[in-house]
Amino acid sequence: MAAIDVSGVTKQFGGVTALQNLDLTVEEGEVFGFLGPNGAGKSTTIDILLDHVRPTAGSARVFGMDAHDQSVAVRERTGVLPEGYGPLGQMTARTHVEFALQAKGADGDPIALLDRVGIAEVSDRRVVDFSKGMKQRLMLAMALAGEPELLILDEPTTGLDPNGARAMRRIVQEEADRGATVFFSSHILEQVEAVCDRVGILNQGHLAAVDTIDGLREAAGATGQVQVTMDTIPESLVGTIEGLDGVTSVSITDGTLTAGCDNRAKGAVVHHCYEAGTVEDVETSETSLEDLFVSYTGGGA
Amino acid sequence: MSWAAVAKKDFKDALRSRAIWAISVVFILLSVVIAYIYGSFSADELGVEGGITAEGLVFFLASNITLFVSITALVIAYKSIAGERESGSLKILLSLPHTRRDVLVGKILGRGAVLAIPVVVALAIGAAVGSALIGAVAVQALLALLVVSLLFTFAYVSVIVGLSAMTESTTRASMLTIGFFVLFEFLWGIVSVGIVWASNGFSIPNTFPDWIFVVNQVPPSGAYTTFLYALVPGQTGNAADIDAFYGTPWLGAVVLLFWLAVPAAIGYWRFSKADL
Repeated sequence: MAAIDVSGVTKQFGGVTALQNLDLTVEEGEVFGFLGPNGAGKSTTIDILLDHVRPTAGSARVFGMDAHDQSVAVRERTGVLPEGYGPLGQMTARTHVEFALQAKGADGDPIALLDRVGIAEVSDRRVVDFSKGMKQRLMLAMALAGEPELLILDEPTTGLDPNGARAMRRIVQEEADRGATVFFSSHILEQVEAVCDRVGILNQGHLAAVDTIDGLREAAGATGQVQVTMDTIPESLVGTIEGLDGVTSVSITDGTLTAGCDNRAKGAVVHHCYEAGTVEDVETSETSLEDLFVSYTGGGA
Repeated sequence: MSWAAVAKKDFKDALRSRAIWAISVVFILLSVVIAYIYGSFSADELGVEGGITAEGLVFFLASNITLFVSITALVIAYKSIAGERESGSLKILLSLPHTRRDVLVGKILGRGAVLAIPVVVALAIGAAVGSALIGAVAVQALLALLVVSLLFTFAYVSVIVGLSAMTESTTRASMLTIGFFVLFEFLWGIVSVGIVWASNGFSIPNTFPDWIFVVNQVPPSGAYTTFLYALVPGQTGNAADIDAFYGTPWLGAVVLLFWLAVPAAIGYWRFSKADL
């Protein structure tokens, strides 16, 4: 069964269309990254899954249950790290986690959860006094309470230092290994790249692309590139390289030949350059997710 | 149960408010002073009809309650839902498996309980002081005062929470709640005269119609006093003068139940439909 099934969802706020006929499916056990520039509609999508916002048209189902009519049942099986939250009154970190455990009807050790996210030492401090990163860690601890089947994380690395971001990725991986489905939205691509099975790119309320990261690269026409710096580049070399199997593009800048190509063709490209002249440097890379993102979202607004 | 968890959380939070402690202490002291005065002076000195009695003490104490409860309910509850929406804590509450109804009901119960405590304490101490001075205790009347005061407290909190649920802005919530208070607790006299005047062809009649009794029960504080008359044995208040079917102090109970249920229901209806 699909963990999340969004079907034809449109959402209008007054005159603004936040989501336009969105179709999205997330399978159980997947780690799905939801990418998009600011204002694309990622948080609106999450709000609809949690019944914080009602769609203008279309439907959303979580574990086969309607996100609106059966919202409580949905939220019993879901752990959420929302965006735009505020602390609950004057409660401490520990009481926040206890509150979450109680709401989910789960036994669990609040301190163990706080320890997992790295804030066990401040468990009895009031959350209103926390820094942004500490609050974010607490929210993650609350999301993990009760070992939910689905984790919905909205911009989870906001406010986290690199250690915190790394810990977040580790936790996501641990949860996925446990069998949970993880759905998280981000505009920080390295975070997404490191953990996701599949990625969806949302732009202006539409899903511009959804695939594995490698799939997106292939669809974009190139999975990698090779840059060969040479002493001099013979004119005939360009034609030769272009003719190679797996090479999609060749360009020359200042003595460096850049070939967009499949990984398998990289060796052949370097070989032909080596045969044709003096090679001074070789660099290879994958098409970055950033390039893909930019190409799918039209260069950003 | 979910509303219980929300109620407990809200109760503990409201207990932290220094404003509530301050107002409560003032109210308790005031009740003691009032009871002391009532018990220490003669009826003529106080300008009270019918002599100093244990029942009279009840009504004397009651006069203190409506203003205290209405103002304090406003203070502790006007942001109860609008504030949580603004601050984002509602996002957390509703990301957990609580319903919006749990949130509304939980807040009414939690904050109502916080307000109920000083009311009960003040009544208990005031009753003790007054009864000691008078030398008599009107047990049934005091119990009636307790019951009616608790109903009034929860009804008022319910109104304010209901109003708070209608908007996402604390500014608008404060306007709605203060507006309610001013209209029903201060301006109602003018309003009821205005209604009579308008229905009488825009002139003031020589004798006011009987149904003005009903109009005067609409503010929660009016209903409170009337209902108290229903429960205290031997008293009927203004209702005794009226012959119509509504000429009964039990009308006060009906009105209080209306205030307990209706604004909260309307607030919930709006709240349940809203996008966060």
